[in-house]
Amino acid sequence: MRELLRSPAGLVGTCLLLLVGAMMVLGPLLAPYDPQSFHPRARLQGPSLAHLLGTDQFGRDLLSRLLHGARNTVAFGLGATALGVIIGSIIGVTAGVIGGWIDSAIMRVLDGLLAVPDLLFTLLIVTMLGAGMGYAMLAVSVAFTPGMARIARSAVLSIRTREYVLAAIARGESWGWIIGREVLPNAIGPIVVEATIRVSFAMMIGATLGFLGLGAQPPSTEWGLMVAEARQFMFRSPWCVAVPGVAIALAALGFNLFGDALRDSFDPRRRLR
Amino acid sequence: MSADTDTSALDVQGYSLRYRSADGQFDALKSIDLTVRRGRTLGLVGESGSGKTSLAWAIMRYLPANLQELSGTLLLAGEDLRTKTTRQILEIRGARVSMVFQDPSTSLNPIMRLGDQLAEVLIRHRGLSARAAFEEGTALLARTGIRSPAEMMRRYPHQASGGEKQRVVIATAIACNPDLIIFDEPTTALDIVTARQILDLFTTLREETGVAALYISHDLGLVSRIAHEVAVIHQGEIVEHGPCAEVFRAPRRAYTRALLAAVPDPAHRIGTPPPDPATPPLLTLANINVRYGELPWLLRLLRPGQAVVQGARNVSFDVRPGELVGVVGESGSGKSTIAKVLAGLQEFSGSVTFAGQRYQGRRAFDRAYRHAVQIVFQNPDASLNPRQTVATILSRPLKLYGTVPPLRIPARIAELLARVRLPAQFATRYPHQLSGGEKQRVAIARAFAAEPKLVICDEITSSLDVSVQASVAELLVELQRETGTACVFITHDLNLVRQLAHRIAVMQHGELVDLFDTADATLPDRAAYTRTLLDAVPTLARIENGVVP
Repeated sequence: MRELLRSPAGLVGTCLLLLVGAMMVLGPLLAPYDPQSFHPRARLQGPSLAHLLGTDQFGRDLLSRLLHGARNTVAFGLGATALGVIIGSIIGVTAGVIGGWIDSAIMRVLDGLLAVPDLLFTLLIVTMLGAGMGYAMLAVSVAFTPGMARIARSAVLSIRTREYVLAAIARGESWGWIIGREVLPNAIGPIVVEATIRVSFAMMIGATLGFLGLGAQPPSTEWGLMVAEARQFMFRSPWCVAVPGVAIALAALGFNLFGDALRDSFDPRRRLR
Repeated sequence: MSADTDTSALDVQGYSLRYRSADGQFDALKSIDLTVRRGRTLGLVGESGSGKTSLAWAIMRYLPANLQELSGTLLLAGEDLRTKTTRQILEIRGARVSMVFQDPSTSLNPIMRLGDQLAEVLIRHRGLSARAAFEEGTALLARTGIRSPAEMMRRYPHQASGGEKQRVVIATAIACNPDLIIFDEPTTALDIVTARQILDLFTTLREETGVAALYISHDLGLVSRIAHEVAVIHQGEIVEHGPCAEVFRAPRRAYTRALLAAVPDPAHRIGTPPPDPATPPLLTLANINVRYGELPWLLRLLRPGQAVVQGARNVSFDVRPGELVGVVGESGSGKSTIAKVLAGLQEFSGSVTFAGQRYQGRRAFDRAYRHAVQIVFQNPDASLNPRQTVATILSRPLKLYGTVPPLRIPARIAELLARVRLPAQFATRYPHQLSGGEKQRVAIARAFAAEPKLVICDEITSSLDVSVQASVAELLVELQRETGTACVFITHDLNLVRQLAHRIAVMQHGELVDLFDTADATLPDRAAYTRTLLDAVPTLARIENGVVP
C-alpha cells in the first residue's frame, strides 16, 4: 500500500477515489437541497452562492443531484464489475484447471463473445431484458464475463505448472486445496487489478445507457441520465451537462489510475527503485 | 593499440561501485585491483552476488543508472576507459573489448542469420565490405572448429546447436583482434561434453591469437584448468589474487579454502555406508516408457507421421531401502522424466513396484504411495508457494498424512527446522525472506516431514552456489543416516554424485546406458558414454597433481 502512494498515478487515483467514496457515504447529508425539488425561478443558472454548481432545466440544484447520484452511479460500476469478475473468474479458473477439450470449448465460445464490443453487447442484452438499473447492471456484467474469464484463465495457466503446484499434486492434495490454496492466491493479483480498471468502464457504460434512456429512469439522479436530460439545454447553459460529465470523467480516471498503480505494485519488476 | 611498454591488457585500480535501491545502498565492488597481462587469462571466481558480473559490465561501460562509480581507474592497454566519451566507447566495444555471454541462445538475435551477426562486427569496426565481411566471417568460423562454416553463416540461431552458437559468439568476439575478451560463464548453459569442447577451443584460440582474457566463473575446477592467474571475489572484494597453481595449492585466505573444500571431490566420500546387497529392493522400475507429444486420436488422423518424443525408453532399475541411487545425464537425457514418473506427475507405461505393491500408470498411485515417496525440486524459488509461511508449508504434509496429532504440529515444525539446521523463528517467515540455500532446506524439510521411505531429489543442488551445494548435499546424507530413507538423486554433476551415491545410473537420449556401483566408476569396462562424461568433468585433482595449463 505504501508502494501504491509513492507513484504519482497511485496518489492521484487514491485521492480521487477517496473523494468519490466520501460523496457516496456523506453525499445525501451534505446536499444543500432536495435533489428532486423544483425551483422554477432559478432554472438553468450558472454557479452562484445559492446554487454552488448551478441548476438544471427544472431549477433543481446540480450539486445536490451530483451528491445524491454518486451512490447510484458508482454502485452501478462496482456492482456490475463485481458480478462480471466473479462469473468470469469462476469460468476462467475452471477452464484453466481442467484443461483439455473442455477448456478449448469454453474458450472458443468466449472468443466469439469477445469479438462483440462491450457497449454493443450490453445494448443487445438490455434490449432483450428491458430498461432499468438492475437489468443494465446485469447486462454490463455479462458483457464483462468473457474478458475476465480470459484473464483469470491465463493467470491460472501460468501458475498451474509452477513447481509448488506440482509438489501439491505429487503429495496427493485434493483439487479443492490445490485451486483454493495454491493456485488462486497467486493468480488473484492480475484479476483484482483488471477488475479495478473495469469499474471505470462499467461506470461509463452505465452512464451511456442512462444517456440513451436504457439504464436509470427519470427522475433518478444517476450521472449519465443527468447528462442525457440536460443535453437539449447544453447551449443555453453548459453547466448542466459539464457538471455530471466531469464527475463521471473524474471517477473513471480515479479507478483507472488506481488500477494502474495497483498493477505496478503487484509486479515486483515494475516497482520503483 | 597503444605503443607504450605497458604489458597489461587490463589494469583495474582501486575501483569501487555502489548500488542504490529503494531499500538503501550497498557497495557492489570495494576497491578492486586486478591486472590481466597480454596473452594471459585471469580467472575471476565468485559466488552469485559477489559482484563479478558488475565488474564485467563496468569494463564494458554499460552500467544501469542506479550504479554509481565511486573511485578507481579502468585501464585498457594503458588508456582509462572512465575518461572516454560515449562515442569513443562505441568504437571500443566489440573492437577492443568483447564479451562472450553465458547463454548463446539468448545472446544471439533469433531473427538474424548467424553470418549477418558475425559480419556486422567486421563491417562496423574493421570497415569491410559486406562481401569481404562474409568471407572473413567464414574464415573465423572455420577457426572455431565449425565443420561447414559457409553453411553455418546462412543459418538462423534456432537451426544451430548450443555449442555451435557459442562458437559463433566466440568467433564474433575474436573478430577484431581485441585487447581483451570477457568470458562470463560461457559454458554454464551448455551440457558437459559441449562445455568441454568449448573450453578446448578457448585454449587453442588463446594460443593462436595471444589475446588476454578475463574469465568469470563460479566453477573452481574449471578455472583451475584454463587460467594462468586467479582472483577470488567475495562480497565485492578481491580476497585472494595470484598465480593459479599457487592459489589452488596453498590458499591463504579462509574464504578461498572454504570454497575449495566445497568443490565436490569424488575421492572424498560423504555418503552413508552401502546397504546390504541381499536386501530385497524397495522400488523397482520395469520397462518404463514415456512418450511426449502423443496426439489424441482425432489429431492423429489429421496429422499422420507427426514425431513423438520418447522421454524414457525401457528404463529399468531398482532402489534398495536406505540406498542412494544417482541418476546422471545431460539435459534432455530423460533423467527428469524419471523423477516426474516416480512423483506421479507424468503418465507412463511399464510398472513401478514399491514396497511390494505394483503400480501401472500414473493414476494407479494411491495415497500410501504418495505418502511414502516425496520429491524435492531443482529450484526452491519455484517449489515453495510465495504466499505461504514456512510453517504453513511444513504443516501441510503433517496434516495431510496425519503423521502427528494436530496439537503436536507446531512442535514438530520446530523439530523439522532444527533438523535442517534452520532457526525456529523461520517458521513465521515467507519464502522470499530466505536465501536460496535456506529455501532448499525448507523444501527438504517438507519432503522429510511426511516421513517418507523414498525421496526423489531432482537436481536439488544445481541452482545453488558451490559452498551452499556442499552443505545441502551433506544435510541430505545426514537425514538419510538418521531416517534410513532411500533416495533417487538426479543430477548432471558427476563429481558430486560420486561422493554421495551407492550406485549410479547413466542416462542418454531417454535410455539407461549404464548402471554401476560408485566404486567401479573408473573401471575400464564402463560404457563409452560414461567414460566421455567422466573425462569431460573438470576436477581440481588435476591441478593438485601438478598439471597446470
